[in-house]
Amino acid sequence: MRALAAAAFVYTTLVACGPPSVVHPESAPALSAASRVAMDTAPKEDLRLVPPEVYMRSYLQWFGGLAPADVQKRAKGADGNQLFDTWDDYLSALGFPDYRNDLPRAQQTNAIMVATFERLAIALCDRAVDHDLKSLPVTPMAERAVFAFENQDPMTEAAFAPRFDVLHRTFLGYPATLAPGPVSRSHVYYGLFSEVVTARQKSKAKARFTPTEAAWAAVCYGLARHPETHLY
Amino acid sequence: MQRALSSRGPLVLASLLAVLLALFASGPKFAPVAAAAGGAAPRTLEEYRQFRALSIDILGRFPTRAEIEDFERPGFDREAWVQKHLAGPAYAERLTRIYMDVLRLEVGNAVNVTPAATTLRREQVQGPDGKPIYVYYRRGQRRAREATDGEFCLSKEETGLELPQNQPPRGTPIPVNKAVLDAETTLVRPWWLYRDFLQVSPQLRYGAGWNDADAAFVPGDRLLKEPDGAETVEVRVCKEEAQTRDRGTLHTTGRVPPPPGTPPPHGRLKPLPLDDGYAKTHKGEALSCRDAMAVTSSIDCGCGIGLQYCTPGDGNGDQPNAFALPSRTPLGDSAPLPRTVQSISAWYKHWWSEEVLHFFGRIFEEDRDFREVLTARGTEVNGPLAQFYRATSTARCCSRERAFGMNDEIEPLFDTKVVPPQLFPNETGTWLAVPDRSAHASGLLTMPVFLEKFASRRARAAAVYTAFQCKSFVSTSAELKPSTEPNLMVRPGCAGCHATLEPLAAYFSRIEETSTVYLPESKFPLKNPACKLGKNGKAPGFCDAFYDPAFGDASAGLLRGAYASAEHAKEGPQGLADMVVRSPEFASCAVSRVTASFLGRPLSSDDDALVQSLTGTFTKAGYRMRPLVLALVRSDAYRKANNLRSGTPRQLPTEPAVPDDAVHGGTK
Repeated sequence: MRALAAAAFVYTTLVACGPPSVVHPESAPALSAASRVAMDTAPKEDLRLVPPEVYMRSYLQWFGGLAPADVQKRAKGADGNQLFDTWDDYLSALGFPDYRNDLPRAQQTNAIMVATFERLAIALCDRAVDHDLKSLPVTPMAERAVFAFENQDPMTEAAFAPRFDVLHRTFLGYPATLAPGPVSRSHVYYGLFSEVVTARQKSKAKARFTPTEAAWAAVCYGLARHPETHLY
Repeated sequence: MQRALSSRGPLVLASLLAVLLALFASGPKFAPVAAAAGGAAPRTLEEYRQFRALSIDILGRFPTRAEIEDFERPGFDREAWVQKHLAGPAYAERLTRIYMDVLRLEVGNAVNVTPAATTLRREQVQGPDGKPIYVYYRRGQRRAREATDGEFCLSKEETGLELPQNQPPRGTPIPVNKAVLDAETTLVRPWWLYRDFLQVSPQLRYGAGWNDADAAFVPGDRLLKEPDGAETVEVRVCKEEAQTRDRGTLHTTGRVPPPPGTPPPHGRLKPLPLDDGYAKTHKGEALSCRDAMAVTSSIDCGCGIGLQYCTPGDGNGDQPNAFALPSRTPLGDSAPLPRTVQSISAWYKHWWSEEVLHFFGRIFEEDRDFREVLTARGTEVNGPLAQFYRATSTARCCSRERAFGMNDEIEPLFDTKVVPPQLFPNETGTWLAVPDRSAHASGLLTMPVFLEKFASRRARAAAVYTAFQCKSFVSTSAELKPSTEPNLMVRPGCAGCHATLEPLAAYFSRIEETSTVYLPESKFPLKNPACKLGKNGKAPGFCDAFYDPAFGDASAGLLRGAYASAEHAKEGPQGLADMVVRSPEFASCAVSRVTASFLGRPLSSDDDALVQSLTGTFTKAGYRMRPLVLALVRSDAYRKANNLRSGTPRQLPTEPAVPDDAVHGGTK
């Protein structure tokens, strides 16, 4: 037993005081290729945010080319819906610079800006329904800046598509048939349209818009605040 | 019809028929849209997006459906479309925006433009019949009557009121005696009420005969109404202010200072004004009624016919309101936001900004040499600007300058003689070219909006350095050791930036800080013996505003700001403009700013080749922007400026990016 302990002591001493063990580096084996993919070296640039001047000028155009003060008046309306406050409330949120106070223009979107896009889209689309679809006497087609088509009830998908294309061109600048995505954009929006119609038909609440009018307004909201509207 | 059929029951056939009929009925109204959709096939999504981008960048708005239809037509010529639209106001606004973003040429609330000589304030007193009336006056106006000399033209005894500046009146109003009122005040039909104010008996009143006033000329409601709400037909003005002559005489009273503690006589709030040194030595001499000193040194100078040299305010405060202005003009003055009544200062500052916008717009719309932005001696002015340059600007000078013999501007940056005489203050919509403002004019560098926005010499120099040379000042050393060295070009911790900045700032030595007053060599020599340092190391007190004791000596004081370069101080802003436009950075900086703006991103070294190519185009075209923008929107960089999109096919290299042996080597 003693001999064993002595041997253990000697061995421990030798190990502890001996030269350190060395692990020599060696290169790892190369990974074998499973497949080959071409590298995309084309320069890529991020989408640009539409300047607020462009958005506001287009917004005025969608209101029939009115002056900002007149758009404010029409968007506010007299129905107490509070769809629109004042341009002064929105300018900073839209990213306009304030030269007087040395505030630069916003180069990127932010939560307040996106919320403002939404609020302005709702004001635009609701007032456009009033002007283009509900007005009596009927607004001539040439004077309809947004809904330049006749509404109909019920709305089939086939009848929906060309009408949707009008809105798609208005806000996004190209035919809906060219919209990227695995599913037809017109079909997707027709789903939204139908859901709104169904919901409105079930609802017993008093509403200013008919179900199809409300549905068109919803489609309009979707396009007027669509990322492709605000980026280019 | 469709609803009628549906209501008859669940007859599928009838419903289908109704739908078909409805589609048939609406069919013809779709004709234009259907045609557009039908013609869309040849265009790709990328082409549509590029057309939209062009519309956004050049027209300043999204394309309309009609424009998209034009684009879809087989014969659409993109090149011709671009060329056609690179001439309009939207294109000019697009380029102007680039430089406005850099220079931010709107002046904030800290700057006031209410010189006493051209600002008409008003007090409300009780008329002879007991009704309240307004009486307009200028602060500090000299009058023959001791009771009102230098103050409002009706005394406390006559009105029952004490009228402290910027405060509500104190006391109980009493009816002003009619004879006193008629003797001390005059009824005038002023320029803000009458289009034909120069006539002997003006008739075309705002809103009553003058119904085609410029859209931007909107007097505040309080300027158009009497205290009882009745429409103002003419205004009552203190008689001195209502005078119309161009030249007056220096007024002196020979008063001596009262013993200390003596209360002001006649119930006055202020002591009687005394003759200053200049008045004593120039007693009875003629002076121009447009000089700032006319209001405080003469009793026979007024605001001219129809009060055309003065601007009215609706109260007695420091910043009385005057005209309605748009709260903001994000799309320019042609599409203003709703208006609110704002101060006289806001009125002038608004038009200062409009002047530089017109200046930029003219350069871009007419495709002029872009170097003119710094070198042009001309500008454009409208009625309010003409009034400003004719009277208000000169009225902001001179007080401290009088110690150096300058009683009015001798060499103004905008010579009053070249202000178009036919422009009335109420003509906001008429803009006339002024080919040559003055011998010292130099592009935007000598415009009020630039000089007031960048109030100090260094701020002005830094703004030019940044905006037109694309350079900035970055400290090379964060170590700021305590130092008494006045020369910032050598002071440790400062020299890194100021060795460059101070010589640039010296170009502005002859333009007062926080002002537009030019300091001429004849009155303010670079080295002024009158401002030499005394034995105590100090210069006379009146020198401090203009001569820097830190760089003076026992023989002369040195003009402030000039210590870094006497040559630059002599050359003035024109020298700076000349140096900047000759520098190689000027063209490449302009190209970089425009390119970055159109590409919507900061440029990197990867863009050097593009910038170099475009700079060549720009300079060969005589520094005109249109060829530059044309070349830019034709470039691949612009066409691909937005190609990071999930749905967009990406360009793949023709050759494998990774060599085969790198893929297959190693383990094999």
